[in-house]
Amino acid sequence: MSSSVLAVEGEGFVSPGPGTFVYPPAFGEGSLVTKPMLIVILGSLAVAVFFFLAARRAAMVPGKTQFVGESLYGFVRNSIALEAIGKPGLKYVPYLATVFFFLATLNISGILPLVQFPATSKIAIPLFLAVISCVIFNVIGIKREGLGGYFKHMMFPSGIPWPVYILLAPIEFVSTIIIRPLTLTLRLTFNMFAGHLVLVLFILGGEYLVFEYGGVVGIAAGTVALLGSLVLTAFEGFVQLLQAYVFTLLSALYIGGALQDEH
Amino acid sequence: MSSHAPDDSSKAESDRAAGREGEADAYGALGLVISGVLVWGGVGFLVAERLDNRLFVMLGLLLGMGAGLYLVWFRYGRQT
Repeated sequence: MSSSVLAVEGEGFVSPGPGTFVYPPAFGEGSLVTKPMLIVILGSLAVAVFFFLAARRAAMVPGKTQFVGESLYGFVRNSIALEAIGKPGLKYVPYLATVFFFLATLNISGILPLVQFPATSKIAIPLFLAVISCVIFNVIGIKREGLGGYFKHMMFPSGIPWPVYILLAPIEFVSTIIIRPLTLTLRLTFNMFAGHLVLVLFILGGEYLVFEYGGVVGIAAGTVALLGSLVLTAFEGFVQLLQAYVFTLLSALYIGGALQDEH
Repeated sequence: MSSHAPDDSSKAESDRAAGREGEADAYGALGLVISGVLVWGGVGFLVAERLDNRLFVMLGLLLGMGAGLYLVWFRYGRQT
């Protein structure tokens, strides 16, 4: 509260905080839709429309859209599904590709001019996808080994004297059922959260230095900050694609782990 | 852009697959240590609340860390 009072009085620079991520309703008071929700809706539509156009009228000699669509899909198929799971993974390419392009689009919205907010920094989106991944790999494991067999395999690895199981079984359980989706969620969310915060800080800080603080020092330092924000934007784009890849890859690895026997 | 499917398990392919598996192991190991600390640290915290003795929190944390590290060794450290 006091910080916003300071801002009004113009007594100094107020650095952006978690409040940056809270948006008012986009269409005035009372409307339910906020900017992150709009990004999710439009992003999903963009991905769906693009792949629909790419797959429609699929020809032996692909047109431009089909070529790009097939190359992108092929990337998920070859570099994620086949490498992480192997041949049985081909069944899961549709899911993995959907996750990858959905996340990549919502991440990239963080550096898209005029949009500039990574919708995935809202924890609900990564959390929901992580829960879906978690359900998928657990269901695969349970289907393959049966309910008892699956949990026995997970919680009671053979070769340990039985009293030690009391100590270890809860750890294995928590690590597989809770920590896996949780780390998937947090890794993505806070990479996006921190990246967006850094960008906002550099841009607002640079603007403040140039226009409010002024003087030779202010303008020089502000210019450096604004130029730095360009570099950081490029870097952020790299991180955003990487995190979408990591999320998808780990989902694939978990699925692969559930598909094959422990060695 | 090569769009052929690398269905043949060439050497480079299996090497890269091994790299992916290593990545999964790294995250898996981290998860085990975190879970160990979380589970037994949590139990220690509950016991400490019950008995009004904060020593149990530390005991739980250390026990969990030890058990987690043991599991990491058991799962990933033994073979080869």
